[in-house]
Amino acid sequence: MIRYFSKIFTAAKAIVQGHWITLTYMFKPAVTIHYPDEKLVPFEMYRGALLFDQQTCISCNLCVKACPSNCIALENAKNETGKKVAKVEWYSIDFGKCNFCRLCEEACPTKPKSVWHSLDYEVIFVKRDEMVRCWKKDFPFIGKYFDRKAQDFKDPEGQVSIHDVQPRRS
Amino acid sequence: MNNVPEPRTPPQAALKSDRLFINLGPQHPSTHGVLRIGLTIDGEVIVKAVPDIGYLHRGTEKLAEVRNYHHCVVLTDRWDYVAAMPNNLVFCLAAEKLMGVKTTPRADALRVIMCEMNRIASHLLFFGTYGIDLGALTPFLYAFREREMILDLFEMSCGARLTYNYIRLGGVMTDVSPEWLKRTTEFVEYFKPRLDEYDTLLTYNPIFMNRTQGVGIVSPQEAVSWALSGPNLRGSGVNHDVRKSDPYSGYENYDFDVPLGKTGSCWDRYFCRVQEMRQSVRIIEQAIAKLPDGPFMASGVAKIPKPAPGEAYAHVEGARGDLGIYLASDGGISPFRLHVHAPSFINLAMLQEKLVGMKVSDVIALLGSIDIVLGEVDR
Repeated sequence: MIRYFSKIFTAAKAIVQGHWITLTYMFKPAVTIHYPDEKLVPFEMYRGALLFDQQTCISCNLCVKACPSNCIALENAKNETGKKVAKVEWYSIDFGKCNFCRLCEEACPTKPKSVWHSLDYEVIFVKRDEMVRCWKKDFPFIGKYFDRKAQDFKDPEGQVSIHDVQPRRS
Repeated sequence: MNNVPEPRTPPQAALKSDRLFINLGPQHPSTHGVLRIGLTIDGEVIVKAVPDIGYLHRGTEKLAEVRNYHHCVVLTDRWDYVAAMPNNLVFCLAAEKLMGVKTTPRADALRVIMCEMNRIASHLLFFGTYGIDLGALTPFLYAFREREMILDLFEMSCGARLTYNYIRLGGVMTDVSPEWLKRTTEFVEYFKPRLDEYDTLLTYNPIFMNRTQGVGIVSPQEAVSWALSGPNLRGSGVNHDVRKSDPYSGYENYDFDVPLGKTGSCWDRYFCRVQEMRQSVRIIEQAIAKLPDGPFMASGVAKIPKPAPGEAYAHVEGARGDLGIYLASDGGISPFRLHVHAPSFINLAMLQEKLVGMKVSDVIALLGSIDIVLGEVDR
């Protein structure tokens, strides 16, 4: 009988102790944020969605070799005589395969980097076609995707960038 | 705490009833992943339990055979995704043995700091979810608050929150900034009093203790013969820690204890993990205090390494136990064979014997206390 009541007493005491800890935190500022309204900006090293710049790329294929999942493809540009030049004709990243491992960015020899991780963690894909982002001349940093149904390049839908101008690492 | 209840014995079913087969999982939230346990129950007592794994099999051991050594580090992140730093480390240790690369002291210290922080993060996840498994929702919120801070620190140093790819062949990805070290020191100072709160919230909570003490007792002999490792083994009172018995990355220079359990029940395994967090904090403090200067990456690691033909085995004390890698090279650019000695997989094997005779309500208590990650079980 004594043991029964002492058990009830210790359990009740533990509940009060637990509530006391919760109470002390009640008057402290919240640690969470209301996500869609407020957004956290990641640290400068963050590995978000990859971006690519057509102008600086010298089409050296190092990122293609560095990628562990073989998600990068590119083609050299050619001049009028059909000779390869150090410019890229088109460049594509398959985000369905991307590991976000930064090996491509580390391999990139140009300054600033031609392919780099942005701080964008909200990259979304509505269709499977959208996962393959292409970069060609006059395409934006964010890339376009090739819609197989419409046989046309389209801008990715629903893409909300945290920063309009992405910081680039040199 | 002193009145440890008697080990529960299976009560004899007074009424004969039909046996019932139920599936626990694969989508049950308490199985921490995609684990299916086929339970045959007689009333409320389990008479047969068959764990079924393989739902998360991705064949990374085979994938490693067609990738070069730098690419394999990316694969290792995906085994134990809760604690990926030890995975990176163990592969790098094995590959460095093959290549004959010696790491710098600063790289070693950074590896130790990162692995211990990841151990804390992993044990915090265990602490929170084990509470949820047994009906205590509050500790989860507190554990994830602190875990978030560790993940933020990882994000700051290497850019990712779960799949780090931070420990590379010959060193680490980047050096840490003084700002990072300052924040880590602040976190450690913040974290130490939180551990006492956890003890109040869950560890010494009589309701929690009654549900876990005396449940799923594993004797030291059983633990050794089942080849358990990590906190599961130490919860049974067997003093074995790879950090002490086979030190790597300069663990012999740090002063820390190996917490041991007494009876080998679920509560002892839980208690070992909570105490390990305190020891990890001690290691981090020491490592930051005497962080040597110098390069963070050893020289002599090729862009595409081709180690001489041979074999290497390396093992580390991961968050879940003795994580080992067997690596064989035939002189090519990719490993000839990669085998993972995964602690989760081996610890899980005791489930089918231990569950027999237990009540249905204790299944999750035992399963949660083993602390498996299905990414590592299935690879």
